[in-house]
Amino acid sequence: MLILRPKLSFEVHVEAEITPDLAEMDLKDVLNFEVYYGKLVKRLGDLFDVETVGEGKRLILEGDFSRVKWIGKGMKDGEIVVRGDVGQHCGAYMEGGKIIVEGNADDWLGTEMRGGEIVVKGNAGNRIGCNFWGEMEGVKGGKIIVEGDVGSYVGEKMVDGYIEVGNAGDFIGTEMKGGVIVVRGNCGYVGWDMKGGEIRVGGRFDLPPSFVEENGVWRGDVNVGGKGVIRKL
Amino acid sequence: MVSLEVRNGFVIDPMNGVFEVKDVFVKNGRIVESLDKPEMVVNAKGKVVVAGGIDVHAHVAGGKINMGRKMRPEEMRYPRFKSDNLRSGVGRVLLTSPAIGYEYARMGYTTVVEPAMPALYSIHTHEELDSIPIVDKMALPLFGNWHFVFKFVKNDEIEKLSNFIAWVLAKTKGFGVKVVNPCGVEAWMFHGNVYSLNDTDPLFGVSPKEVITGLISAIERLKLPHSLHIHCNLLGIPGNYEVTLETIKLTRRFENSERQVMHVTHVQFNSYAGESWKDMSSGAEFVAKEVNRNNVTVDMGQVILGHATTMTADSPFQYELFKIFKTKWSNLDVELETGSGIVPVYYSPKVRVHSLMWAIGLEIGLLVDVDKVVISTDYPNGGPFYSYPYIATLLMSEKFREEEMKKIANVERYSILPSLSEERTLEDVVKMTRVNPARILGLNDRGHLGENAKADLVIYDLPPEPNPRDYESILKALSNPSLVLKDGEIVVKEGRVVKHTWGETIWVKRDYDEELIGDELEDFFNYYTVQRENYGVPHVRREVVLC
Repeated sequence: MLILRPKLSFEVHVEAEITPDLAEMDLKDVLNFEVYYGKLVKRLGDLFDVETVGEGKRLILEGDFSRVKWIGKGMKDGEIVVRGDVGQHCGAYMEGGKIIVEGNADDWLGTEMRGGEIVVKGNAGNRIGCNFWGEMEGVKGGKIIVEGDVGSYVGEKMVDGYIEVGNAGDFIGTEMKGGVIVVRGNCGYVGWDMKGGEIRVGGRFDLPPSFVEENGVWRGDVNVGGKGVIRKL
Repeated sequence: MVSLEVRNGFVIDPMNGVFEVKDVFVKNGRIVESLDKPEMVVNAKGKVVVAGGIDVHAHVAGGKINMGRKMRPEEMRYPRFKSDNLRSGVGRVLLTSPAIGYEYARMGYTTVVEPAMPALYSIHTHEELDSIPIVDKMALPLFGNWHFVFKFVKNDEIEKLSNFIAWVLAKTKGFGVKVVNPCGVEAWMFHGNVYSLNDTDPLFGVSPKEVITGLISAIERLKLPHSLHIHCNLLGIPGNYEVTLETIKLTRRFENSERQVMHVTHVQFNSYAGESWKDMSSGAEFVAKEVNRNNVTVDMGQVILGHATTMTADSPFQYELFKIFKTKWSNLDVELETGSGIVPVYYSPKVRVHSLMWAIGLEIGLLVDVDKVVISTDYPNGGPFYSYPYIATLLMSEKFREEEMKKIANVERYSILPSLSEERTLEDVVKMTRVNPARILGLNDRGHLGENAKADLVIYDLPPEPNPRDYESILKALSNPSLVLKDGEIVVKEGRVVKHTWGETIWVKRDYDEELIGDELEDFFNYYTVQRENYGVPHVRREVVLC
């Protein structure tokens, strides 16, 4: 198990594609792991204090990681615990394992993830569990749970998996093809161009006019011949 | 620019009948007979030395590929070149302009033709061509659905038509005449298409047959270096090989002893038999026979299984594709001239039709006479151009084809590829990538290593007659040339781009009399968004004019 602490307060974004694999590498290799500080290529050891504590495929990130991007990118197993806020793209392309963020998460959380689990105790930004620009399929599996609120665009082009958030902004499950999105609180428009899957909302929400009510649920989006379901929690 | 000697390499230069160990001398960017004191000596012992490759058909610049880039930001996630000494470049199949130049150089190609330039967008096209480093470039303006052409053809005014072609080539710095689905794109503006060579365009009432023969007459009259470059009607539709045969037969009334009278491009997409996607099979055998009988050349249009983006001026076909794939689609109408459509595709090895397309392309490569066919993927329609070494290796090794066929859907009942045991030699591949394209384009300063040819030269770490069963080393060597010279300068070493240079833009100038077509120009420019005096391209980075 490794504990990482920032050595300085970052003025620009750090791009550190760190995964729990680091915990199984030699300390020397970990310190030499390539990261970007703005446009500069740096070593992980230049920017972070690294401490080895006991066994296990785990990373503990302590301190302010709100400007550190790509944490847990494509991780396959193990666990990352962020004791604070985390930057953009956390858990993008993730395939397995678990990320726990005790503070807030930024935009692009769990983008195009395939499996695994992300739990955020605070709030999260925009485009949670979406696709990157242009890609035709978003999240294909796994679980994202945000205990606080999130911004706009949740689960765009989602194919499979589970996303649960508190209050949310506009455009929930746009062009969704499968999987489940749960909004416990209020949100804006849900399900535009939805082809499949299910959206459950606890509070108020805006329904596009292209959905048909049927036995207490709404089906659509009829504009694209979709078979998605929107229901009240 | 240094003078240089390539010593002891095995030179394969089919155009000059050279197939032996020989020294090659380079001075001032040209091949010379001998040199007293070369400033630099490259030892090529045990390697083959060939001319730089020429691509006759790749959509590398212009409105379409740029629209494709805008539509597909997901293509841009793949870094290729860092910015140290070079321009940075990214892209999966749709590359950025600098990456296109570098990737061509990296596999030993030094010349490329952008085959579909809407004349109205020639400024943009040349601007992009000017951003492609290292390689020499040409662009073919689109004529097949242009109202001017329809009018001249309808009135049988071949003199006016040849004047008009010369005027367009001069205005747009174009190299030749490209035709895409003649009359079909215009019919598409009226929600239709043409389904045979005798169907007519709804506005002028001319048929594809009249447009094709009219344009060939005008081209032969102007003695252009390149023949008509045609993307046939009904492309990509099962059963279309018959239209392809009919189109090829139209060349019988023309004669030309120096070059072909028609180049049928990406012919794989036009060699489908059957009546629907369900019973589609290969018509490559018939097409190959007809090509071999007539004064016609082809390029393969090989499909590479994986990601691709189809972009053609053939808007009706692109709409059919959109209905099949249901992904993204864009459609463009270029005023009086042409149209275009773009649809992303993924050629899946599990899909029979896609696997069959892969097989049909290779059938074409193996069955057409070796001096009539050129390797191409119709980039980015069939796949990336940087897969040419893969295609060459497939053509050279039956064993490699067998291995690759294990990975795809079974095509045995629909294609004769599994029974073909032909293997192209390395010399054949040199013909298909160097000699034929140079002859087809009418360029005599490249495609060979004779005296005064351009010093575009590639050294591959291969024996002159490699063992086809050892296909892995062939593929590796063809993909990573030991050395690439462009105009006598070393641009690639051991598969790495080491120098950024700028190539030339080549265009063709013929005399024309603007008075003769003055009335028509005056009339049509009333309907253009561009004024007549602002039409065309004022200048390009480095130009070579063929007069």
